[in-house]
Amino acid sequence: MRSHVIAIAALPLLLLVGVFAAGAPQEAPAAWRRLEGAWVRTDPDGSGSFGGLGSNIVPARLKPGVSMAGAGRGGRAGGGRGARGAPPDAAGAGTPHKEGDPYIAVAQPCFGGAGRSGGALLVNPDSGGVHFAVSKDEVIFAGERGGVRHIYMDGRPHPSSWTPTGAGHSVGRFEGDVLVVETVGFTPGAVPGGGMRSAATQLVERFQVAPDGQTMTVTYTWDDPAIYEQPHTYRYLFDRAPGNPPYALEEWCDASDPIEKQSIVPPKQIIK
Amino acid sequence: MTFVRPLAYLMLAAVGIPAALVRDTQAPAPAPPAAEGISGNWELSFDSRKIPRARLLPTITQAKLTQRANLDAHAIRWCNLMGLPFVMDSGRPIDIREGPTVVMIVAENVPNPRYLYKDRTTHISGDVYDPSTHGDSIAHWERDTLVVDTIGFHPTHGITAIPGGGYRTDKSHLVERYRLMDNGNMLSVTFTWTDKTVFATPQTYEFRYYRLPATYEVRAGILCDPYNQSRADFLGDPLEPRPSAKPVR
Repeated sequence: MRSHVIAIAALPLLLLVGVFAAGAPQEAPAAWRRLEGAWVRTDPDGSGSFGGLGSNIVPARLKPGVSMAGAGRGGRAGGGRGARGAPPDAAGAGTPHKEGDPYIAVAQPCFGGAGRSGGALLVNPDSGGVHFAVSKDEVIFAGERGGVRHIYMDGRPHPSSWTPTGAGHSVGRFEGDVLVVETVGFTPGAVPGGGMRSAATQLVERFQVAPDGQTMTVTYTWDDPAIYEQPHTYRYLFDRAPGNPPYALEEWCDASDPIEKQSIVPPKQIIK
Repeated sequence: MTFVRPLAYLMLAAVGIPAALVRDTQAPAPAPPAAEGISGNWELSFDSRKIPRARLLPTITQAKLTQRANLDAHAIRWCNLMGLPFVMDSGRPIDIREGPTVVMIVAENVPNPRYLYKDRTTHISGDVYDPSTHGDSIAHWERDTLVVDTIGFHPTHGITAIPGGGYRTDKSHLVERYRLMDNGNMLSVTFTWTDKTVFATPQTYEFRYYRLPATYEVRAGILCDPYNQSRADFLGDPLEPRPSAKPVR
C-alpha cells in the first residue's frame, strides 16, 4: 500500500518532467555556436597588404589554352560597396605620385557594379569583418563591407534554372564540426591565385573553427574540368573579431561625398 | 513482487500520460506549428500594415519635415545604406534567421543586414559605438515574443522617415515585439518609437508578415547604381550638390 502511495505521489512529478522534455527548446549544436558571430581575416605570414595575401596562394594550374582574358582581375577588382576599386582618375597605376595628392583616387566610389554586389565579396573576403548566423535551415554569411550569402542547409539541390551571380548558389551541411558549402552558378570572373570561374565552376568551402572558438580556417577548392588541370585549393585564416563584445560595424559610404573619391593624402614631408 | 505494481504505475506515468498529453495538444492542428520559429522568409502584403498617425511635438514644423524628406530622397538617389525603419518594409521579402546568439534580418534589396544580439543584455557603450542606420539591437525572448531594443541611430544617415509621421534621430529608441501567429504562418511585429525630440507620445504601429514557402530561393538584390544618369534624372536630388572634390589634408 505504501509503495502505491509513493507511485501515485510521483505521478505529478513525472508528468511535469515528461511535458517539459517534450516542449523544451533544443540546445543548438556546439559547432553552430563556435561558427556564429564575428570574424576578421588575418595575415599570418605578414604579407602586409591584401595583394600580398593573394600572392601567397599557390598559383592555379589552368588547362592549356585557358586564359584570363575577359575574366577581370582577381582579388579586389571591380569595386564593391566601399571596395573602391573603380578605375583611378587621378593617381592611377604608373602615374608618378604628386605631393599633396591622394594616393588612391577612384571615379565611382561606393559602387561595385554587378561583379562585386550581393554576396560576391564574401567568396573572397577582404579585411572587413564577416558574420555568421547559424540556423537549422540556413546559414547567413554577411560582410561589413556589404553583401550577404544565403547558405541553404535544408538539403535542397541547386536549382535547375539559375541566373549566375557573383555569389552563386550555395548549399551546405555540417560534417562533424566543419561547415561544408558547395556553390555553383557564378558569373564569369577571376579567382585568387590566378584562377578563373564560370557558371559551371564548383567551389567547395570548408569552414573549420578551432576547438577554442577563437580561430577559423577556411579552405577553398575550385573545380572545373574545363578550366583547371587539378582542383585549385588554398586557405584563409580568420580570428574572432576584436571587441568586448564584438559586434558588426557599419561601413558608411556616400557616393555623393567627394571625399569618398580619395584615400590617404600624404602630409607634407618636412625631411626630404 | 511488492514493487512490481508500483513500478508499473511509474512506467505508465513516465511514458503513457505525458505522451497522451502531448498528443492531445497536437491533435487538432491542421498543420504542425512552425518548428523553425521566426526563422524564414517573410513578406508584407497590401493588408499587412496598421499604422496610426504619429503625434508629433509642436516643434516639429513643416520645414523640418521637408528637410528630412529631402535628406531621404538624397539617400535614395545616391544608393546610401537605408537602415531602420525602412529595412523592415523595403518592397522585397525579408529573411530572418535565428542562431544561438544572434538573429540576422536581411532584406533582399538592402546590402547590409540587421544584427539582433541575444548574447548580451546591455547596449554597446555610446563612448565607443559609432551611430549607424540600423542602430545597436539587443534581443531576448519573453515567452513567445522576441523583444528587440534598439538605440544608437545615426542622426541623419539613411532613410529616417518613420511610418505614420516623424523621423528618427540619434535620440530615438525603438522597441520591437516579434510574435508568431496563425500556426506559425504569420509574423506580427509591433514597432514602438520613442523620441522626446520628435514625438508627443510613442509612435506604435504593427506589420504582419506572411511566411513564404520553406523552399523559397532568395532573389539577388536589384543593383543600385548611383552613377546611372537615367536613374539620376528620374529621381532628382532636392539637396544642393556637394562642393567639388578637394583633397583633405
